[in-house]
Amino acid sequence: MIPLGVVATVSLLYFGLLFAVAWYADRQRAFGKSLVDNPTVYSLSLAVYCTSWTFYGSVGRAATHGIDFLAIYLGPTMIAFSWWFLLRKMVRISKEQNIVSIADFISSRYGKSAFLGAVITIFAVLGIMPYIALQLKAVARTFDLLVYPFSGANGALHFFPRFDVHFDTAFIVAMILGVFGVLFGARHLDAAERHEGLVAAIALESVVKIIAFVCAGLFVTYGLFDGFTDIFHDFLTRMPERSHLLLVGADVNTYAHWFSLTFISMMAIIFLPRQFHIMVIENCREEHIRSAMWRFPAYMFIINLFVIPIALGGLLLFNGNTQNADFFVITLPLQFGQPWLALLVFIGGFSASAGMVMVSSVALSTMILNHLIMPIILKLHSGVQSLSTLLINIKRLGIVATIFLGYLYYRLLGESTALVNIGLISFVAATQFAPSAIGGLYWRRATRRGATAGLICGFIVWFYTLLIPAFVNEGWLDQSLLDRGLFNLSIFKPTALFGLDGFDIWTHSLFWTMLLNIGCFLAFSLLSRPTTDETEQVKKFVDVYKKRVEGPQRTRITKAPSVVEFVELMAKFIGEKQAHQAITNYLGDREIDEKGSLSEQELPKLKRFTELTLAGSVGAAPARIIIDNYLSARGSRLEDIFDIFGSVNISRTASREQLSVLFDAARAVASGRNLQEVLDEILIIFTDQFKFDLCVIRILDADRQALTVRSQRGMSSKHFGESERDLTMDTYIGETFLTNQITVVNDTDFVAKHQTAEIIRREQILSFAHAPITVEGEPIGVLSAFSKSAKGIFTEEFVELFSSLAGQVGVAWRNAQQTDQLITAREQERELAIAKDIQLGLLPTKTPELPGVHIAGICLPAKEVGGDYYDYLSPQEDRLDLVVADVSGHNVGAALIMAETRTMIRARSAHHGSPKEILKELNSFFYDDLTRAELFISMFYLQYLSASREVIYASAGHPPPLWYKAAGHQCHRLDAEGLIIGVMKDFQFENKKAHFEPGDVLLLYTDGVIEAMNERNELFGEERLKTLLLENSRRSPEGMIEKILEQVRLFSGHHNFQDDVSLIVMQVAAEADLDMTSD
Amino acid sequence: MKQNPLPLRDAWIIWFVLGLVMLNYPFLHIFNKDVQLFGIPLTVLYFFIGWPVSIFVIYLFSSYMSRETKDDSQTSGEKQSSSRNEAER
Repeated sequence: MIPLGVVATVSLLYFGLLFAVAWYADRQRAFGKSLVDNPTVYSLSLAVYCTSWTFYGSVGRAATHGIDFLAIYLGPTMIAFSWWFLLRKMVRISKEQNIVSIADFISSRYGKSAFLGAVITIFAVLGIMPYIALQLKAVARTFDLLVYPFSGANGALHFFPRFDVHFDTAFIVAMILGVFGVLFGARHLDAAERHEGLVAAIALESVVKIIAFVCAGLFVTYGLFDGFTDIFHDFLTRMPERSHLLLVGADVNTYAHWFSLTFISMMAIIFLPRQFHIMVIENCREEHIRSAMWRFPAYMFIINLFVIPIALGGLLLFNGNTQNADFFVITLPLQFGQPWLALLVFIGGFSASAGMVMVSSVALSTMILNHLIMPIILKLHSGVQSLSTLLINIKRLGIVATIFLGYLYYRLLGESTALVNIGLISFVAATQFAPSAIGGLYWRRATRRGATAGLICGFIVWFYTLLIPAFVNEGWLDQSLLDRGLFNLSIFKPTALFGLDGFDIWTHSLFWTMLLNIGCFLAFSLLSRPTTDETEQVKKFVDVYKKRVEGPQRTRITKAPSVVEFVELMAKFIGEKQAHQAITNYLGDREIDEKGSLSEQELPKLKRFTELTLAGSVGAAPARIIIDNYLSARGSRLEDIFDIFGSVNISRTASREQLSVLFDAARAVASGRNLQEVLDEILIIFTDQFKFDLCVIRILDADRQALTVRSQRGMSSKHFGESERDLTMDTYIGETFLTNQITVVNDTDFVAKHQTAEIIRREQILSFAHAPITVEGEPIGVLSAFSKSAKGIFTEEFVELFSSLAGQVGVAWRNAQQTDQLITAREQERELAIAKDIQLGLLPTKTPELPGVHIAGICLPAKEVGGDYYDYLSPQEDRLDLVVADVSGHNVGAALIMAETRTMIRARSAHHGSPKEILKELNSFFYDDLTRAELFISMFYLQYLSASREVIYASAGHPPPLWYKAAGHQCHRLDAEGLIIGVMKDFQFENKKAHFEPGDVLLLYTDGVIEAMNERNELFGEERLKTLLLENSRRSPEGMIEKILEQVRLFSGHHNFQDDVSLIVMQVAAEADLDMTSD
Repeated sequence: MKQNPLPLRDAWIIWFVLGLVMLNYPFLHIFNKDVQLFGIPLTVLYFFIGWPVSIFVIYLFSSYMSRETKDDSQTSGEKQSSSRNEAER
């Protein structure tokens, strides 16, 4: 035994070394150098495949079952032949698509399906749990063997007095590895899911574990024995009854077992989530694969070279006792006086476990975050604030949670089972990913349904044939389930499903899982059609090596977000620094227009880039959801562009006739004739060229919720009455409209919809097609073509032309709509302009000349026409009447009332009425009109008698004018009681009087001035106006008005006023002026 | 530089299948016997000689691939050419 302190110190030093290497690698990367960008490191990092299963388990397996452990390493050696093609293709795709995990890889292939991603994630977590358990078990047991050699099979318990609880070693190991996982895999959220530090640490661990194992091997072979032949000789002479351990096993079933192990390991080497992560995601260069193809098998060869000698040596030295066979590597040096070697072996074994647990937990937590948590977050959190902190914390939590799930498995199931048996359960689980992943790489016809069905079936059978027996062995489930099968039906025996007995549990499980997995994958793929998203992805996967010719831009984004908005969106998920970094790289060589934004053609590319960048962080499926949600939330979407030249490019193979149809149709659309003519023209061109018997354009009638015929050619008049189609799925036209997808029936003998079938039979139609007519992606109608002469005329190429034509009908329709709207708007605008001219003409154009006063006035309507009015009248030589009024509202109605008021006042003021009489008369005159129009008027009427400088005034609910008294340098209000005009028919207004002195100023205004609002919703108010008047009382009336308007504009922060604004300033000339005028 | 007319690129399939055959029943049965050669059981010897041989074959194959890629890269960029070849295949 070795003192606890020594083991702990050496382990801690080793942790420190690993972390320093990882930290250094990350730091180098920040400087643009890469420590891991070389084939040796890549090959070593692949050796994360050799976990404590290899390190300890192989020896145990060899000592108990013989050399079948070799299959686990020979399989990967064989499959390495294919890497330059299979693996490189996966790496290429993953780099191009910013793939971050195996779930991401498979779900991306099948149209970025979120559901498929979630399914794979759940299965991956379930499948890897046993494997993590295995690692915890190995580290915990070896630690206990070193420190407490006599603690028994369940391991030692550690008492923590502080917390008053007991922990077993595995729990502490799980905690340490959790911290490791977080430190290496989730210190910060990365735009691309690569962890150079982690890879560097893994590579170092691979070196340590091979050195440790080879040292132990050399010690046993040459220290305890006399070389290989000596061990074999000893073994065969002392234990001849166990010579079968050196054979594969002679009957057919053992060969089947051997084959199963080879096959499982071939798949597991690529499709175990951690292997996929290290081999594909963390790959720096494709060329590294080439040297890893032989270096990695060589690594496996060397590490396995001493497995048999150690196993046999252990059997010989422990007298055939296999109870602790899994740990011969560590017990042999311990027993035979080499504690330091044992410690080295422990560190090697720890490296093997830690590497696996770290990479697995990082890979799984990425999958959990992207495929399980993210969809929920996106649903709950339409959110504003940044998510990047939340995401990284969830990822950390995911790492720890994954490891503790493994711990749970270990506590519940793993304690009594041999290491290899636990690991193989995970291998079979990883094999389930193979059909949909490899199939998706080479088989175009593979669909999402096929992949989902295959995976789900495969995993259900995996669970039933491998996990259920494990549960039974552990005593969780009744033994009768194994013996008699589910519901006592022997065909459901988990280890002999449908009567397939005589095979080992692995072969049995592999056979059934693969049969159902591949079977469902093929069958469902053939029975379903790929969606548009899938078809798009198929090209990126199957044809990844083909140079894709980027077609002409066929889409544009309506209401497109700006570059800045895209960056903000990215920053929310990957943090601001990363987002800015990404966009800087991207924009480097793009066309940017003079306003600093991207041209319309570039925006869809930027959208794709944003999606790809997000995919690098959160996975492809969530990235697509994020972008779609974001665009739809702001009402923008991608729409197709139908320009004739675009269409020509798309179908290079199209015939001359087809091109000419598109060209003529485009010319008709561009002709600018009215909609009906354009639609008719398109149908004429189309039917004439292709000899259709009937072509119809139906457009949605929104009021009736039906598709009505807008243009047709070839329809008999007797059926015209029934040409309308409801929006139901019962007709093909309704379906085309509702699903917004083209419908083609090339043979009407196979028409499923009975309503359609009737018409088709009567009209003797042989084939037909419907294409949705869309505007900005939304359907507005359906274009249909029917043929009575031929079946099967709608070839794929023709359908493309047909849908382009429908697109052009949409463009024609939109053009017509826009033209109509434009004309209406222009007409209204012109009328309003006229009204504005008239109204401004009603305001006084010149100020009356009355000795001793200066006057200025202004009226600024908020819109084209307004309800404010002011006027000066001079019915007598020494009298001046000032009116200011405000009709509620600033529409045409208010303007008309204002015009009427003006006429009335102009007519009445000549009759010498006092202000209150004029107001009373106006009130009774307008009462009915105003009540009917639901309007009212506030008005202030003032008469100034120049001889006596006296004013008489009355108010109808108008804001009181301000009176600046030069004598005391003070401001007063000219208050007078009075109701607004149009509220009470017989209201008595009051006259009030005041006496003005030279230098006094009168300011009349409407509420638009004092109710001007700033951005904090504060009003300009009377007080500010008073202050302004006091400060500027010596200015000319015009100057004063200018100053007031300027201040109000400054206050509100707008040049335009929210309400109409009117101002009149009357200044009584000072004594000096008066003298001058009298001169 | 003209490409080797022998499609060695595809030879991996032959090696792969050969490897699988040699690793499994019935071929494996030939060597799976309870006899010793040079004091080492035949089965063990078979695996531990066959294994490095196949690693060596992979090594030859991968260095051939490497040479081919380098030949191509003299005319055009390395990556493009390998992907173009791939596409032609």
